[in-house]
Amino acid sequence: MEQRRTIVIDPVTRIEGHSKITLHLDDQGRVEDARFHVTQFRGFEKFCEGRPFSEMPSLMARICGICPVSHLIASAKACDALLAVRIPPTADKLRRIFGLAQVVQSHALSLFHLSSPDLLLGMDADPAQSNLVGVLEKSPALARDGIGLRKFGQQIIERLGGKRIHPAWVVPGGVSEPLSAENRDAILGSVPEALAIALRTIEWFKGTIERFREEIATFGNFPTLFMGIVKKDGGLTFYDGDIRITDASGKIVADGLDPTRYFDYIGEKVESWSYLKSAYYKPKGFPDGIYRVGPLARMNVADRCGTLRADQELAEFHELQRTAVLSSFHYHHARLIEILYCIERMEQLLTHPEILDKHVRAIARPNALEGVGVAEAPRGTLFHHYKIDEQGLIRWANLIIATGQNNLAMNRSVLQVAKHFVHGDRLTPGALNRVEAVIRAYDPCLSCSTHALGQMALRIQLLSPNGEVLDEVVRS
Amino acid sequence: MSQVLIVGYGNPLRRDDGLGWRAAEALSQSLPFPEIDFVICHQLAPELADNLRSTDFVFFIDAAHEGQPGELSCEPLTLQPGIIRSHQLSPAHLLTLAQQLYGATPRAFTVSMCGEYFDHGATLSATVEAALPKLTALVENLTRQLIARPSCRV
Repeated sequence: MEQRRTIVIDPVTRIEGHSKITLHLDDQGRVEDARFHVTQFRGFEKFCEGRPFSEMPSLMARICGICPVSHLIASAKACDALLAVRIPPTADKLRRIFGLAQVVQSHALSLFHLSSPDLLLGMDADPAQSNLVGVLEKSPALARDGIGLRKFGQQIIERLGGKRIHPAWVVPGGVSEPLSAENRDAILGSVPEALAIALRTIEWFKGTIERFREEIATFGNFPTLFMGIVKKDGGLTFYDGDIRITDASGKIVADGLDPTRYFDYIGEKVESWSYLKSAYYKPKGFPDGIYRVGPLARMNVADRCGTLRADQELAEFHELQRTAVLSSFHYHHARLIEILYCIERMEQLLTHPEILDKHVRAIARPNALEGVGVAEAPRGTLFHHYKIDEQGLIRWANLIIATGQNNLAMNRSVLQVAKHFVHGDRLTPGALNRVEAVIRAYDPCLSCSTHALGQMALRIQLLSPNGEVLDEVVRS
Repeated sequence: MSQVLIVGYGNPLRRDDGLGWRAAEALSQSLPFPEIDFVICHQLAPELADNLRSTDFVFFIDAAHEGQPGELSCEPLTLQPGIIRSHQLSPAHLLTLAQQLYGATPRAFTVSMCGEYFDHGATLSATVEAALPKLTALVENLTRQLIARPSCRV
């Protein structure tokens, strides 16, 4: 049996879900390969079969406690397609606000709670301090801002959906309740403080990135494609639009792609060592069709945000590199610009004269047997695709989640970081943290993204105390 | 008048783990006063520290795993420095976080009842269902006494 020396990082900390990383060393102790293994398993696509389609938004929201709203929206859009209805304009706006609030709270969690220890204390900080306690001690104001911004997003979700986690307010055909004037005014009243937090956090972040030149150069800094939905005019959107794909030079590779025809241009590959599938752009094949989604990709594919302050920040962001912004370290920066955009855009929507309209739901029976719903989740483009029978029961479902679309890039990023920072068969705390930090930059949500029931090979190894493989069972 | 915060938390889809929700929902009906605020949630997250800064007293109602089913316990809480996680905190960690972030020092109590079954389901066990009124009566009585006190917040 071939013996390879490996370093295992298990578990990867400060991310959403469970995973491990293995680094494979050559005879000289240099990293020659690296893998990001997702070790948790979900099976939503399979066990929703046989359920009434109307249950799907609530059922799919259970996939994730961080971004349930994104699943609600994509699922409800797929159900809208099954009903073959156009939802009322006010419901459309309310869903958008709901989604934007979700992005704010999710991005705030990623940046302030998970990554700010790295950014504030440095990548070589004592691991015992590299957490929220360390952030609290170094900068209580930053910690307060993080909590304030996350609470801002959660309270909007609660005001609209009735509860913070797993709200069931978004339904096929629209939303279940209109917005009250009291809730609109309360949300608008909290906007100035949220905006102030977003603006000062961006300034703080821009002031810190000089310290991370080496990380910027090595954290997933390589050419890939970028994908996201954009408006007809090329503007940023989280709710509705066509797929645009750009390359590393910033050139548009494909534009105006129908998101409901995702299967024409997105392929998925199963690897034996992970429960997370790897998506790729079909015309370029696997693995050359590697692409990234999420904040960095959206900032690369969008021509503009469409709000004043976010557009100023986007212009500055695009100056980071003459081509597309390639380093995955800049996911953090992109996340902050998106927070700013979301707050500004919510204010625009909430002050629309029709926002309190009571007509917020279109009622219909199923009029189509197949529907696709697509939205931009905090971590990237999210696809829900359902087929039903004549009774309206789900017969087949397919979900393509942002984290799976970043899987190839995350693996390549881990390899790039490991080659640069890991030397010999020992991990220094700083090297270990950087290997994890590059994963954190993508903000993967593993609970969301592992749905390969029935397709995933299962490998069980029996190891002796000294690590020797005594037996192995592989079920493909 | 003092402000009181009542936090009921747990997973209502894991039977007795949802007793905190049930208790808080019942108390929100029996204590409809502006001095009392309620939070019902799956777990304690850092954002709750913000709620603690504007209250004098806080009750954390949760299910306990160890002990006789239906056994009731009410304990005062003290600060507990240590690692604060982003997704789930203990009441003591949350109290510490509120103190560190906002200088908030509400008096806090954990009120727990030992559950019997924690498998999937939305109903409480018969034992906990029968014992829950003891818990809500305890919190209701304490809360009525506490809100009558002058606020001690600065």
